[in-house]
This record gives sequence, structure tokens and C-alpha cells, in this order.
Amino acid sequence: MAAFDLLGSGFVAAFEFWAFMTIVVGLLVGVVAGALPGISFVNAMAMALPFTYVMEPTQSMLFLGGIYVGGVFGGSISAILINVPGTPASLPATWDGYPMTKRGEAKRALTISVTSSATGGLVSALVLAFLSAPFASFALKFSQPEFFAATFLGLASVIAIAKDRPVITMVSLLLGIVIGTVGVDPLYGQARFSFGVPEMESGIRFVVVMIGLFAIGEVVDLLATNRDLRPKKTDGKAIGASFRDILKVKGAIARGTGLGCLIGMIPGAGATPGAVIAYGIEKQVSKRGKDFGTGIDEGLAAPEAAKNATTGAAMVPLLTLGIPGSAATAIMLAAMMLHGVSPGPLLFIMDPTMVYTIFAAMIIANILMIFAGIGVAQLFSTLMKTPPAILGAFIIVLSVVGAFGVRNNIFDVYVCLAFGVLGWGMKRIGFPTAPLVLGVILGPLAERYFLTSMANAKQDWTVFFTRPISATILGLALIFILWSLAPNIKSLMVKKK
Amino acid sequence: MASGPTNQTSDQTSQAKGSNPLSLARILPIFVPTALLLAAVILPANMFQSDQTASKIGLGPAAWPDAMLEGMAFFSFLWIARDLWVLGDVRRKLTLSLPIEDTHYHFGKAISGLGLIICYGWLLPILGFALATALFIAIWCLSAGLRNLLVVIPVSLIGTTALMWLFMGLALMPLPRGSGAFDNLSIWLLRATGIY
Repeated sequence: MAAFDLLGSGFVAAFEFWAFMTIVVGLLVGVVAGALPGISFVNAMAMALPFTYVMEPTQSMLFLGGIYVGGVFGGSISAILINVPGTPASLPATWDGYPMTKRGEAKRALTISVTSSATGGLVSALVLAFLSAPFASFALKFSQPEFFAATFLGLASVIAIAKDRPVITMVSLLLGIVIGTVGVDPLYGQARFSFGVPEMESGIRFVVVMIGLFAIGEVVDLLATNRDLRPKKTDGKAIGASFRDILKVKGAIARGTGLGCLIGMIPGAGATPGAVIAYGIEKQVSKRGKDFGTGIDEGLAAPEAAKNATTGAAMVPLLTLGIPGSAATAIMLAAMMLHGVSPGPLLFIMDPTMVYTIFAAMIIANILMIFAGIGVAQLFSTLMKTPPAILGAFIIVLSVVGAFGVRNNIFDVYVCLAFGVLGWGMKRIGFPTAPLVLGVILGPLAERYFLTSMANAKQDWTVFFTRPISATILGLALIFILWSLAPNIKSLMVKKK
Repeated sequence: MASGPTNQTSDQTSQAKGSNPLSLARILPIFVPTALLLAAVILPANMFQSDQTASKIGLGPAAWPDAMLEGMAFFSFLWIARDLWVLGDVRRKLTLSLPIEDTHYHFGKAISGLGLIICYGWLLPILGFALATALFIAIWCLSAGLRNLLVVIPVSLIGTTALMWLFMGLALMPLPRGSGAFDNLSIWLLRATGIY
């Protein structure tokens, strides 16, 4: 009962004029920053940090929370419209969202995306409000082996998107992981694969790879095929998603939300593995799983719900234990520290109003996101009416600026262009790019968790199997791999007979 | 410059040519896994610079990339083995093939587009963001078939100014200003547009 009362007072505080406006502004900044490839909402949060100096501690959290919620969704706008994920977590949105755009159903894809994201985020915010305490004690049991197991599960989920080609998918994934090892290693400080180029020592950033592989190849294809991405109309109206369409994917949204909440509260896991695992599981569960990748509603709804469901859940370890589970929550932690607020169990006793105002703000932000998301998506959708020649030129310039902006370094532009050529070539010969990108994103995390786990356990590899949570997650990964490969194994056995 | 549209996949091409299962179009895709296998074998020896030796404490910095490269070599080998088996019969499909959707693909346009993008990246630190971007947008639009100069020139100039405002003015991103005389030109442009 006390939680309800506190949440009620949180809503009262969050609905005060300036607090509410702060959430709205943060949300809009997040959606726009997330939608611009290479800018990313994490960069927007980092840039917004100095502005929070002049704010009250609670107001600063509302601002950053708004950017966080809006940004995680915003990445899907560019993923759906131009096949360039604004954030890594929006990668699965390109697999089924962009094919819908190619069919002239951009508005429909965006409606499904924003509804699923808002539902996932809303449930996650409610979880944050009512289940923080028990989840926090569970998250406390996580250490490096569990983080590795969770990342491994994310990598294993790539098998689900293999489209009957597990061998080539594995080659692509491993190539991505190898690219992720370029630069100084996380434990020993020695540079690998730098080939005497000083810039290579600081590694190859996944954002640069992602922009190059997806944006440049896509724009070149746009030029070579004279493809028209303008929304198609039937009976004078653009094809949108009705309430019935949303109801049809309620199962996918529910599964994605549940998974997102669970994965989000694991520190270090975050939205990307959440979205990819949700996509993989949905592909197995859905009756239309075989058609995933061609613009299927469930293939878009499940990862979209999952990635926003990680937002509230990721704040559970931050607020209850003071452990930031992602770059975004680390910036929020920094903002709290700047204002002299120390997150942790004591915060719930010392300043419950602040905590519950943040909870209320997360709930409000997710509801407002439907309107903000549709508004911004409408704006971006209007941009799609631009002639492909102009659209292509600006996508390239934005991609180059995005790559440069990662470290304000021209070398990243060259790397981006090299991956652009590689991505185009890979697409031409049918070599899958998505596993490679996933390898570059999750590979460095897996390596860090693996090496630190091994170092802590004095190089005893059984540590991953003797710890119950780690062993369970790895067991789940194995079951998931076998489940995904079952149709291939069956077809092989039928051929032999 | 633009080549004619192609509507055949590599498999279809070889099938159309008749019964020869070892035609160039069928053999070419095997070069990809072969190159990856070779890379996986060669790269471990070139992981560190010649004056460095890997740390011997614990697993060492080479353990993870070595394991991944071994995995890549294994799966590349499986890929080659499968494709060699495929080559024995023209009815079997190779692992790699062109996407079916590409019925009218102008390779000439694609190659010229890639060249233009690479030139843009190369000229960026020489000409500076403003000049290189304005030129790139104009040339790209023209090469993509937008021939109306009354549209191309304003789009190029207004677009570049808007991007400069957004990234150099608002986000304070230190985008390249160019070298020598182009640096002075960029500074003049930035002052003229009120960004500096």
C-alpha cells in the first residue's frame, strides 16, 4: 500500500508544470538523437549532462530519463525508414521493419514499433515501481561469469536469424568478433591487429562499422536500383496499422516485454541482447517464423517491446544498488553523483519522493512516447517523400558526420567507408551482415567478461558451469541453439532417409 | 557508365550456361571462404607488432582472438567442403548467391556511387566539410538523375549550411576545415554564416 501512496505522490510531483515540460523536452531530444545515425541517445545524454548542473536533482533525472526512454525507441525510426539503426538495439528493426518500408508500409511499421516500444517501456516502468526490491537482490547475485553467460546467450541468438545457413552465419559472427578484438585488449593493455597504425590501437567502434555496413551499402543500392521508398497509398490513405493489427501481435509484445524486463535488469546486458534474443525466440515461437526477415509484424513487435522494456529494468540495479548496467544508466549515475545523491538501498529510505517521482516520470515518458514517437516518425516519414537522389546524398553526409562524431577523428570516416564497400560487397554476394555487426557489438563485452571471470577463478573454466545462474543461462543458450537448429537437423535426416 | 540491368543470380547464370558445373560463376563464390580461411590461418602470427611479445600472465591477450580465428577457420573449412560437394552437381545450390530481389541492378551506377563516396571521404580533410559536402551533394544528385540545376544548387548550398549549423554550430563538432587555402575559406564561410 505504501508503494501506491508513494507512487501517487510521485505522479503529483512529475505532473508539476516544469517537471512535466522537462520530461517532454528530454523525450523529444531522445527520439530525435536516437533517430540520427551516429549521434545516438547516449551521446545526447552525455551532451545534456552539463545542462543538468542548473537543475534540481529530481529534475535532472527526469530530463535524462526522458532522453533515455525516447532515445531507445528513436533508433528504430531510421532503422525502419532507411535501414540504418540509430542505436545498436534497433538492429532487429531493420530485419522486418525495413522490408515493410520497401513494400510502402513505413507508416504501418512505425505504428507497430512505437506501440510495442511504449507497451514494453510502460510495463518495465511498472516493474521498476513495484518490484525493485526483489529484483535488486537477484541482480546482486550476478558477477562476471553471469555477465559472460548473458552475453553468450545474446551471441547464440544469432543462430535464430541464420535463415537455414548456420555455417555462413557463424563465419560472419566470428569475423565480427575478430574485428571487435582490434586495438588494446581489456585486461593486458596490449594492442592487437594494429599493423603499425596508431589509430587502430584504440580499436574499431561498432557504431562506425554499423553505419558503414548498413547506410552506405543501402544508399548505393538505392542508386543502382532506382528504388522508390515513398509511402504507397491505398484508397487515398497511407497504409497504417489498425488497433486490430496491434491486437494480433499482442503475444509477441508480451513475450518481448517479459524478456526485456528480465534481461534489462542484468547489469551489462542492456537493450541490444534483449532485442536480439526476443527476435530469435519470436522467430521460433511464431507461426510465421519461417517468413521472418521479409516484413512480418511479430518480427518487428517483439524486439521493439523488448528493447524498451530494458529501460525501466536497467534502472533497477542503478537505483537499488548503485550499479549502472549500461552507458546510459552510467550517465544517470554521474548526474546523481554531481548533485550529491548516492543511489542504493538508503536512497529509498532517505528520499523516497525522489525515487518515486523518477518511477512516475518513467511511466509518463512511456505514455507520452506514443505521441512524441508518432510525431517525430511522421516528420521522418515525410522526409521519405524526398526524391531518392537527395535522400541518398544526405544519408551519406549524415553517415560520414556520424562516423566522424564518434571520436572526432577522420580515421573513423575511412573505417566507415571501408566497411561501406565491404557491406555493399557482402550484400551483393548474399553474405549476411547482421551477425557480423552483432559480433562487433557483443564480442568485446564477451571477451572482457570471459577474461575477468577466468582471472578471478584462477583460469578454472568450470566457473561458468559451477555457478547456478551462469550454468542455467548457458544451458538456456544451448537449448536455444538446438531449438533453432532443429528444422535444419530434421531436413538433413529426411534427406538421408 | 551505367551497365545494363542484370537479372540473373550467380547460380542461375551457371545453370543457363548449361551443364558445366565448374563455370567461373560457380567457382567464384568459393574464393570468399577460402580467403577467410587463409586470413584465419595467417592473422594469429601478425596479431602483435614485431617489437612486442604477448603477455604470458594468465590466458594472455591472444587467447580470445586466437579462439575466434580458430572457430572462423573451422566454419570456413565446413563452408568450402560443402561448396566443393555442391560443385559436383549443377542442380545443387552454392552457399552464396545474389539476392533474388535484384532484378534490375545497375552495377556501373553502384561502382560510380561507391567511387563518389570514397572521393568524398578522401577530400573531406583536404577541402573541408563545407566545400566537400556541397560538391558531393551536387554531384551525387546529378549522377542519380536529378538534372534540374535550379533544384540541385539550392539543395546543395542550403543543405550544407543547415548541416554546418547543426553539427558545427549547435553540437560543436570539430568537423574538418580543410588544409591551406581551404582552411581559410572554411573559416571565412563559418564567420559569414555566423557559426564562428
